[in-house]
Amino acid sequence: MNTNNNVYTIVYTTIVVVVAAAILAIAAMALKPKQDANIKAETISQMLTAAGFSDKDALAKLGNDQILAMYSGNIKTAFLIDKDGNKTGELETDVNDIELQDNLKVENKNIAAGNPSLPVYVFEKDGAEINVIPIYGAGLWGPIWGYIAFDANCSKIVGAYFDHESETPGLGAKIKDEAWFREEFVGKEVNFAKPDDSFDIIKGGAPKDDKSAVDAITGATMTCNGLDAALDTWFKAYMPFLQKKAGAAAADDDACCGGACGKECDGQCEHEHNHQEG
Amino acid sequence: MNEDLKKTLLNPIFKGNPITVLVLGICSSLAVTVQLKGALVMALSVIIVTGLSSLVVSLLRNSIPNRVRIIVQLVVVAMMVILVDQVLRAYAYSIDKQLSVYIGLIITNCIVMGRIEAFALGNKPIPSLLDGLANGAGYGMILVIVAFFRELLGSGTLLGFRVLPESYVPNNLVILPPMALIILGCIVWVQRSIQKDLQEK
Amino acid sequence: MEYISLFVKSIFVDNMIFAYFLGMCSYLAVSKNVKTAAGLGVAVIFVLLVTLPINYLLNKYVLAPDALFKGVDLSFLSFIIFIAVIAAIVQIVEMVVEKFSPSLYSALGIFLPLIAVNCAILGGSLFMQQKDFANVGESAVYALGSGIGWFLAIVSLAAIREKMAYSKVPAALKGLGITFITVGLMAIAMMTFMGISI
Repeated sequence: MNTNNNVYTIVYTTIVVVVAAAILAIAAMALKPKQDANIKAETISQMLTAAGFSDKDALAKLGNDQILAMYSGNIKTAFLIDKDGNKTGELETDVNDIELQDNLKVENKNIAAGNPSLPVYVFEKDGAEINVIPIYGAGLWGPIWGYIAFDANCSKIVGAYFDHESETPGLGAKIKDEAWFREEFVGKEVNFAKPDDSFDIIKGGAPKDDKSAVDAITGATMTCNGLDAALDTWFKAYMPFLQKKAGAAAADDDACCGGACGKECDGQCEHEHNHQEG
Repeated sequence: MNEDLKKTLLNPIFKGNPITVLVLGICSSLAVTVQLKGALVMALSVIIVTGLSSLVVSLLRNSIPNRVRIIVQLVVVAMMVILVDQVLRAYAYSIDKQLSVYIGLIITNCIVMGRIEAFALGNKPIPSLLDGLANGAGYGMILVIVAFFRELLGSGTLLGFRVLPESYVPNNLVILPPMALIILGCIVWVQRSIQKDLQEK
Repeated sequence: MEYISLFVKSIFVDNMIFAYFLGMCSYLAVSKNVKTAAGLGVAVIFVLLVTLPINYLLNKYVLAPDALFKGVDLSFLSFIIFIAVIAAIVQIVEMVVEKFSPSLYSALGIFLPLIAVNCAILGGSLFMQQKDFANVGESAVYALGSGIGWFLAIVSLAAIREKMAYSKVPAALKGLGITFITVGLMAIAMMTFMGISI
């Protein structure tokens, strides 16, 4: 058979391409459930680490099923909120049907566009509620993201977990690898009085009495700046929700003065202040 | 094992090493050698892809129309790489995340196409398979050596296990990409000092 | 401003050779003299500039999840589609160069078809997939910047190697060994650009 003849060439190429595509499609379809389970388990592991149920390394040794079971066993409820902090929908938490809002890249764009649909995951640990929210932003080389866990009335951070795609190992990658960086966040608060810059990661060290700042990582300034910006953006998006939750504790003068509590002025503050619009 | 097969298997490890002698497959060898584990997975992937692609192309070698030779080779190689990538994503997700685009880049890894053109197109299937596997192994060996030094000196660990004492301050320069090139240069230096006939005039 | 920042970043900070080591094989083989290096560099710029935006559009409208039809995720075909586009474009470029500039064609020789398997070209498309640009314009700027970065890298290395031909390099280091070390040192120098924000 003349292998250089035109018809043969075209038929041959077509057959090769079709066979290759078929093999790949079959493999992709067969492996997809396992791949999706891996992605889901990864996201859940990060949340569970932030919430303090375990740590990433220990979770990495468990199988996907156990991680999903840990999620279902400890989650109280999960729902979506809009930009005003109102609940817009529930996320399924049954172990066979866990729903996650984990397309953070898309939500980041939605926040900028003004129509986000943000998830809140409410766990229960030792009788107390823990609220976990995601954050997402740009590091030096690629995206960075993570989860912040708040206590029951969203006034204090109880845990955090950060991850990245391609930050420099030994430098920016430390936001994920170094436990001390995550532990800095425990006990810190979101600064409701400064909605556009409610948290700071400060190079050279944060002032000891600043409840809304942590130390940056030496040599990872760009990554930490990116993380700072991500926290500011997402905390601002969640602020109505966080403030509503903290509303119970906002009879406190500090939160109310400056009008940042979002409540109608009820005359309880002793100082003069201006309510912020919107 | 007869002499020819033995030569096919052993040559790519030292004398005909794809990276240090043939200068193929450099790109990924530098980027994935930060940790030993990543290097091992990459090496294994390249061994599998090179071996299987050579095998398939050799089986098809008498029927491929000359004009679309490169395209058919590319389709075969791409298919193998995608299969490896999909399997990794299903069964070794965290490593696949670390290796990210470099698995896909195996397609353009000159070693794979290079061996297909140089060997598989003109030889029987079994020798082609062995040639592919051996070249992948030669490549893998260099990767492991570079990664060994980079992980040991850069993090004090090997495969994640702490090897050097806690007091060892990790050499961060070694973790950064350029050092891989310098380490590779040193490996070539050592090899050519030993095998003098490889030296350039 | 966005475009300028992206452009500068892709030349210096995300340099294809020094940051990601893409396109090394042909890079090392061709950098012996400045003229051929420049020729190859220009070819790389051109191929990147044409293939990256095409792959961007294909990725956005065909391969991405839910792009073609809802519920259909063809991203597993990315590698094959990208490399097919690249191979086709290189084939066309070869034919055009042969027709309009036979001298350039013979000067580039084997390296023109080899661009098809140059990791830098496929790598550019794969990184584009990860970086998620807002529109075709951004992907084109990234392609141009990456190509220029590669061009700068190969021409500067060729210039250094031309001069090194006159130095007394130890026999075992001559050629490949000293080239690797040189590129490594150049890469360390390029790292100074890492903190740039424009």
